[in-house]
Amino acid sequence: MRVNYQINTTPQFRILSDDQIEEIFFATLEVLRQTGVRVYQEEAVELLRENGAYVTDDTLVRFPASLVEEAVAMAPTRIVVAGRDRSRKITLEKDHVFFGTGSDCPFIRDPYTNERRRYTYKDSYNAARIADSLPHIDFYMPLGLTSDVPIGTYDRHQFLASLQGVTKPLVVTAVDREGLADQYYMACEVVGGEEAFQNEPLFVIYIEPSSPLENTKDATEKVLFAAEKNIPAIITPCPSAGGTAPATMAGILVQALAECLSGIVIAQLQNPGAPVIMGGVVTIIDMLTTIYSYGAPELTLLSAGLTEISKWLGLPMFSTAGCTDAKTVDQQAAIEGAISIAVAALSGASLIHDVGYIESGLVGSYDMLVMSNEIIGLVKRIMGGIPVDEETLAVDVIARVGPGGHFLGEKHTLRHFREFWLPELIDRTKVDDWEAAGSKTLGVRVHEKVIKLIETYEPEPIPKDVENRLKDIIAQADERHKAEEKVALA
Amino acid sequence: MSDVLERISKAVVVGDEDAIAKLTRAALDEGLSAKEILDGGLMPGMDYVGAEFKAGRMFVPEVLLSARTMKGSMAALEPLLAAGESIAVGKAIMGTVEGDLHDIGKNLVAMMMEGAGFQVIDLGVDVAPDAFVASVKKEKPDIVGMSALLTTTMRNMGRTIDALKEAGLRDQVRVMVGGAPVTADFARQIGADGTASSAPAAVDLAKGLLGLA
Repeated sequence: MRVNYQINTTPQFRILSDDQIEEIFFATLEVLRQTGVRVYQEEAVELLRENGAYVTDDTLVRFPASLVEEAVAMAPTRIVVAGRDRSRKITLEKDHVFFGTGSDCPFIRDPYTNERRRYTYKDSYNAARIADSLPHIDFYMPLGLTSDVPIGTYDRHQFLASLQGVTKPLVVTAVDREGLADQYYMACEVVGGEEAFQNEPLFVIYIEPSSPLENTKDATEKVLFAAEKNIPAIITPCPSAGGTAPATMAGILVQALAECLSGIVIAQLQNPGAPVIMGGVVTIIDMLTTIYSYGAPELTLLSAGLTEISKWLGLPMFSTAGCTDAKTVDQQAAIEGAISIAVAALSGASLIHDVGYIESGLVGSYDMLVMSNEIIGLVKRIMGGIPVDEETLAVDVIARVGPGGHFLGEKHTLRHFREFWLPELIDRTKVDDWEAAGSKTLGVRVHEKVIKLIETYEPEPIPKDVENRLKDIIAQADERHKAEEKVALA
Repeated sequence: MSDVLERISKAVVVGDEDAIAKLTRAALDEGLSAKEILDGGLMPGMDYVGAEFKAGRMFVPEVLLSARTMKGSMAALEPLLAAGESIAVGKAIMGTVEGDLHDIGKNLVAMMMEGAGFQVIDLGVDVAPDAFVASVKKEKPDIVGMSALLTTTMRNMGRTIDALKEAGLRDQVRVMVGGAPVTADFARQIGADGTASSAPAAVDLAKGLLGLA
């Protein structure tokens, strides 16, 4: 008989204690009660008022604790999302980690000329294809903001480019309620109707409150529509410590949580049980350059802290990693990417996004995406922990080989050496082989893979009849918006 | 340099908001003019702050505190000016364009411009083209500054410039645009006079547009 034996099948990681999380939550409830949140959408304000929120000044909503706690209790703890290839699923539940790209970077570095320019439809399609090919990228957000299509309906065009390039689950953005609705009906065409979508959604919608403590009309209307249609909705504020939120780590978490929960309450009032995902790109404003930092250690620390709060509340979490403030995929990008990916994985967030962001989120980089895929593979090996049992303790093998022998020929080695992580782009060659191959740095090898993927990777096509119906929906949207003045983006 | 002007400069550098009003009064009591206080005390302080900031030795919150301190002194000086006289180096109206609520960048530029001696009228967020036009008519600024964070709302910068043209006001002001998705090409295309990628660069741009740099 054995007692008091505990197993860690994975590494264990904590930043905040339960008591600290509770204190942050209480402070959040106080902010929601005392200061309140602005909601610039009448229907939502009315819904909140009817359900016990205290509304003044038409848009300032103060939340009683019970309203917030009931909403959190109503929201599901688990959400399943499946891609166009319906076997490609992600299960968003506590401590199950999935990585994916970020969305809507205005600029790309041209993979052939390195020119910094706006994303085209073709660039968006290429980004989707690259993501489709990478084994450690589990979901796709449209990496670049597609700028050579009508701007009022760019989200639908971008959604089609994503669908054409990738069969994995998607996280999408939308211009407004109508843009979300069009993408929803497009998705229903792909999966075979609204019921099929509701059972296994094809995408999750990204919705952003404005920090500090505001919900725009468009953002709120997206929350309402998503809840009504059971589209999983990420409520993800983007506060910056010292800029649009307090400079202290606990303070920015309190504010981010208040912003996030305000959206979650609206969703649950609209449709009790609506699938929602907590989010927050929670970082600092750099006090010399005023950039919103995507490489700061604070982003990684705060993302892990917020993830721990989400797990305590019982909500899936949308976190951030694999991104950098570097202008190109250099040593800085590798450091910031690797550290953030490792810690985000340890934190147990459900959807970890923004893999591929460089230049503080202004450039969506194929190279960063491909390099991060390698980093995620490496990190996954560490997350596997150290299994300890009779076979792995290997006492018999050690006895057989004994002092002074070697293990290369052992059956035990044959059984287990393939568990070692095998790099694809990380270099372990001998120096003469490395020199003979052109003395290439990791950056060069990454870029070669990017070019190869662009030129050779073929995704599974969308059936032609479905694609035509998707194009019809887009054409109708373009028609509705054709009267809008079009200023092309230089 | 008179002792009191030096102390005013130092108060601006360290951001001593409490001392600045008293020091300003003391300088006036010594018989110094508003312009002498500005040129001999406040501006040298802000110039030092600007140089320290560019060198990475002072940070945004400290620069803003210095700018606020300077503004405290200006508030004491302005009532003493003759009608129509101004010690501001220029006048700007600024706003986040229609449909956009993101204002931290705009606020930062406004505060830094004030620190550089501009009079800034902040129109807030979600400012419609008509509101910019009305403000230009009323305030007669040298500069109109517009900000947008979203690619979708960026277009409203162009619409605002068109509205200024229609109202016959475009030639009376210099237009600056800014925000993360804004490029120099875009600024040119919509007919703006310039863009800058950071708040200090925006101040330099404003000075340049008015021939002050």
